[in-house]
Amino acid sequence: MNTRDLVLIALFAAIVVVLGLIPPITLGFIPVPITAQSMGVMLAGCIIGAKRGALSFLLFILLVAIGLPVLSGGRGGLAVFAGPSGGFILGWAVAAYVTGLIAERFVHPGNSEARQFVGFFLASVIGGIVVLYAIGVPWLSAVTGTPLMAAATGSLVFIPGDLLKAAIATLAARTIYAGYPLLPARA
Amino acid sequence: MLTSLYVEGQSWFHRVPVRAKLAALVVLSVALFAMNAPLLLLPAFLLCGALYLSLGMTARQAFSRVGFVLFTILVLAGINLFLVPLPQVIALILRLTTLVLFAAAVTATTTIGAFMDEITILLKPLERVGLLRAADVSLALGLVLRFVPDIFARYQAISEAHRARGLPIRPMTIIGPLIILTLKDADTIAAAIDARGFRRQ
Repeated sequence: MNTRDLVLIALFAAIVVVLGLIPPITLGFIPVPITAQSMGVMLAGCIIGAKRGALSFLLFILLVAIGLPVLSGGRGGLAVFAGPSGGFILGWAVAAYVTGLIAERFVHPGNSEARQFVGFFLASVIGGIVVLYAIGVPWLSAVTGTPLMAAATGSLVFIPGDLLKAAIATLAARTIYAGYPLLPARA
Repeated sequence: MLTSLYVEGQSWFHRVPVRAKLAALVVLSVALFAMNAPLLLLPAFLLCGALYLSLGMTARQAFSRVGFVLFTILVLAGINLFLVPLPQVIALILRLTTLVLFAAAVTATTTIGAFMDEITILLKPLERVGLLRAADVSLALGLVLRFVPDIFARYQAISEAHRARGLPIRPMTIIGPLIILTLKDADTIAAAIDARGFRRQ
């Protein structure tokens, strides 16, 4: 890994920290404000690719574990891993990796704009939602003893909001891909 | 800007070595998940609660650190009331709360420096097989701490620019410029690191 990749990994982790510091975004048509940080996984995979995105989130998870309040709302420390949603936080690294793999596979500079949008959206949905829930929900079920089916049905409440995040992440990723492309995997 | 969750203090738990605390956390989590009887879990809960409250934090500080996690535990326990027998729900609340309190106690009594020393040791095997370098992890961590205030200032500048132009502050128009402006610095920073010979490449 060269120094530039190391710096990109660190800077992206710092961006995710800052996304947790900015006030939650309210959109007119849904009642729950969106925390910008939760889009970080999708953004990391789509912008800096699989390997660097995953390492960036491993670094972020390390920051949480050593007691820095970097999660949105100033949360942090080992307690968040001991809680029911610890699987979602550990799952971020894997989710960023899968998002990056799909984005690297489907988005190329020569593609039409529409195809790039579709590629980023697919990557965000599969990596940032499907994979993340596939890790977080069984973890939650194992830790709390809630039957898996009930936990899975309950999480459906969050899917509309997540799809909206995927849409925002797609638009942002495509803007950055047009302005300052980093996705071509070098790490 | 990023103040660690460490709490200054001289309690006995502050003086326990990090490795012992982390090992205790692992042992405790395994033990708690092996126990199901509320009667066994209750003493563990009381002990960890007493330990957490004895670290020299005010009640409000102590609660604000774990309040959010405790809230999710209670919400899930509420859902579980309809799905699993009552003793199991009680066991769940006691078990998770105990674990959260102990984990929060470890976080509150361990400095970042102590954690990093331990992590460097834990990474040694990976370093030996050539997967990564422990020094790189510390360097990356340092870079994050160094650049968070800069990136936050940049975010504020971009929102001011929005306000000056009478534009609403939307994620779409903020995230793009914020990320491009930040990542564009990567080359300069990497060159500065290499010029100082930190990574011996």
